[in-house]
Amino acid sequence: MEQERVREQDDTYTLVERVKEGDREAFMTVTELYQKKVFLLAYSFFQNKDDAMDIVQETFLRLYQKANLFQKGKNFQSWLLQIAKNLCIDYYRKHHSKETKFDREVPIEEMNLPAQNSQACYLSSDLKEIFSSCLDKLAERQRMIFVMKHYNQHKYKEIAQILNISLGTVKSLHFKAVQNLRGLMSPYLGREG
Amino acid sequence: MMECKKIRKNLVAFLYGELEEKEKIHLTSHLDLCPQCKSELERLRVAVNGANSLKPNIEETMASVDWEALPSQIADRVFKEEAEFPRESWFTRFTRSLFQPKLRPVYAGVLLGVLIGALTTYMIFRVPRPGETGTAELFAPQDFLERVELQMARRETLNYLEKSQYLLLDFVEYPSEKKVEFWRSEFTSQRARELLTKKKYINPQLNKFKMAKAKAICDQIELFFYELSRVSEELSVEQIEEIQRLIDEKQLLLKIKLLKKELEESEV
Repeated sequence: MEQERVREQDDTYTLVERVKEGDREAFMTVTELYQKKVFLLAYSFFQNKDDAMDIVQETFLRLYQKANLFQKGKNFQSWLLQIAKNLCIDYYRKHHSKETKFDREVPIEEMNLPAQNSQACYLSSDLKEIFSSCLDKLAERQRMIFVMKHYNQHKYKEIAQILNISLGTVKSLHFKAVQNLRGLMSPYLGREG
Repeated sequence: MMECKKIRKNLVAFLYGELEEKEKIHLTSHLDLCPQCKSELERLRVAVNGANSLKPNIEETMASVDWEALPSQIADRVFKEEAEFPRESWFTRFTRSLFQPKLRPVYAGVLLGVLIGALTTYMIFRVPRPGETGTAELFAPQDFLERVELQMARRETLNYLEKSQYLLLDFVEYPSEKKVEFWRSEFTSQRARELLTKKKYINPQLNKFKMAKAKAICDQIELFFYELSRVSEELSVEQIEEIQRLIDEKQLLLKIKLLKKELEESEV
């Protein structure tokens, strides 16, 4: 298992070395390998396909420009997702920071969610709208950690590496994110939900 | 209660399978016994399940992306941009970041600081050119300086007269039989010597400002002290009486007093 991981890292490093030299094929291979991971992170963060596609393109453009800065022995995926994460935050601050919630046709308060129990809520087609709105209300770091954990299914250790923070902070912020989401969702899901 | 607090902090990590085996066993055994913590876990699970509601959406969107074409599209854009704007070397990037427009105010400030510093240093340490010597003449008119000098000469003369007056008064008021001892004492001869020195110092000033009357009296006093200091070792009672008579005859004390008054009144 460990040997496989090391071999994979070596392969990635060789690819990145070729990217540094301007090898188009190598660049396309790297993009093919990691595009879905970057997209998933960006899409979970923005809940918007166009924004996510912009982030994917920008991330690989930056990868090409900054390939020289990548050092052997570092985790390439973490390094790449760090670029993507920074771009997401910059993009969010630039385009979404003044919005209080995502644009929606029906205001969240007007949605018909007379939930008496959690099961009822799960069945509601508006749940994803509710959740999307609540996710948007989280603080940047909490949202990023929640998205990385829940949708990208990264381990706490990997998140700590990507965000360059301690394992304890990741754990604590993730706990706060889930707790806050629960608090934000509770008015729409009923007391027991 | 403390135990519940610790357990609750781990509930989210438990839901996401991030607890170590030992912690997991500890947590599950606590949940079996604590209905409050168990219900808190269920509440958090609702939020986590709420997040799952977005998953079909994500999967649907991911399925709508042409992943096979995307690398080529991105590569086209990247290599097109590179052809237009080639990758810069670290040196070019460094120099460009050094001269970026937002740093202009900083450089302007530094330049201004250097200029002010250089100018101040030059003003402080510059060597004056010949004919540019910074004397007081540059700053005060000549007549003002002369007035100051005259005033100082008056004061010096007054001081001299006053000290002479005290010495003479001491002599006059001393009992006749002890007058010889008075002149022979070290203290008196020192006072007389000091007055003789002082007179040498005020002489040029008295000449310069044409204080003839004052000079005449001061000369008399000087002569008097000079004679006394010269002969003090061998003074006899007769000589002492002669001196006493001379002081009275020349009305030296009165003259001193009048001259002092005159000098004081002429002061500004």
